[in-house]
Amino acid sequence: MTIYHFPLLGTEGTFGLNLNPFDTNLVNLTIVIGVMFWFLKGFLGEMLERRRQVILSSLSDAEANLKNATIALEKAQTDLAEAQQRAERIRADGKLRAEAIRKESEHRTIDAMASLKEDALADLNAEMARISEQLRLQTAVQAIEKAMATLPSKLDSKAHAQLIDQSIANLE
Amino acid sequence: MVSLSFPFHIAELEVGQHLYWQIGHLNLHGQVFISSWVVIGALLTLIVLGTRKMERDPKGVQNLLEFLWDYIRDLAREQIGEKAYRDWLPFIGTLFLFIFVCNWGGALVPWKLVKLPSGELGAPTADINTTVAMALLVSLSYFYAGLSRKGLRYFEYYVEPTPIMLPFKIIEDFTKPLSLSFRLFGNILADELVVGVLAFLVPVIVPLPAMFLGLFTSAIQALIFATLAANYIGEAVHEEHH
Repeated sequence: MTIYHFPLLGTEGTFGLNLNPFDTNLVNLTIVIGVMFWFLKGFLGEMLERRRQVILSSLSDAEANLKNATIALEKAQTDLAEAQQRAERIRADGKLRAEAIRKESEHRTIDAMASLKEDALADLNAEMARISEQLRLQTAVQAIEKAMATLPSKLDSKAHAQLIDQSIANLE
Repeated sequence: MVSLSFPFHIAELEVGQHLYWQIGHLNLHGQVFISSWVVIGALLTLIVLGTRKMERDPKGVQNLLEFLWDYIRDLAREQIGEKAYRDWLPFIGTLFLFIFVCNWGGALVPWKLVKLPSGELGAPTADINTTVAMALLVSLSYFYAGLSRKGLRYFEYYVEPTPIMLPFKIIEDFTKPLSLSFRLFGNILADELVVGVLAFLVPVIVPLPAMFLGLFTSAIQALIFATLAANYIGEAVHEEHH
């Protein structure tokens, strides 16, 4: 019992070649194929060519953009480095100046404080002098008053005459 | 089988003669297999030749293949949606290209040059078995797409706008593969028959308009088959926006 039965062995008919142009519709087919080729080459060829051109132009645009962008990036980087250097310099200058100002103000403060202190001292001395002067005056006045108070008791005519002679002798 | 008793042999017209290959208990239509292999071989050759040296500047066949790829991808993306189209792109592309080359190959290649022991070569899609096989594949694939993506929630689709649609949607599951297969089969076989009859009556020139029309409609049928397949898959994976 044959399981596989392929009529390649020519049991029913044979494989062969049919070259009758009418039977095989060859005439019409050649015309159709010719027209299709001509039509497709035109229509499809144009469409494909346009597609290719669009792709190529967008690729070259992208490359040009890339180049421009790289150049701009490099320029921006050099600008950035320059600006950073300048900023560095300005910062250093500023620091120095700030230092100098600080020192100057320190000195001025010290001087002002010193002068203030001197003034205060002078005031204090003046005040002390005044007060001591006043006190001396007061003690002198008090001594004189006390002497005046006790004088009449201590002074009789004999002492009085002695005192006058002494004074005259001092005057001479 | 019609044979005319003319003194000279012009053309014969017969339908339903096949080259039978027997494997086990099955009879295969050998002529469909042979022409399918030729179509597959042609497609593979085209793609292998076109993708051998790919350059950034698309020239010649590479340009054509890229154009076809773009076209198929737009078709799949439009019908299936952005999220799931990539999984189904090869399937839709294969359907489109295979059916397209089958149809145009059947119409343009002089198959009758090769005489078979029984039956004759022609477009593979002029055999109902080919188209039914592809339509059943489409059915299988949209079920698989829906179930794998949504699980059993896929069956919500049957009562989607209103539950009244349930019987119609169930009938659709049968009519979809039916219409897909018969639409393609009918178009291609009818074109073959029309051209055959016209060539039988007037061998030259008169069949030409029918042949050009046949090329046009068969190309559209390939597109329709692929678009509908993508549409069914898209419907199955479509997420309802609530």
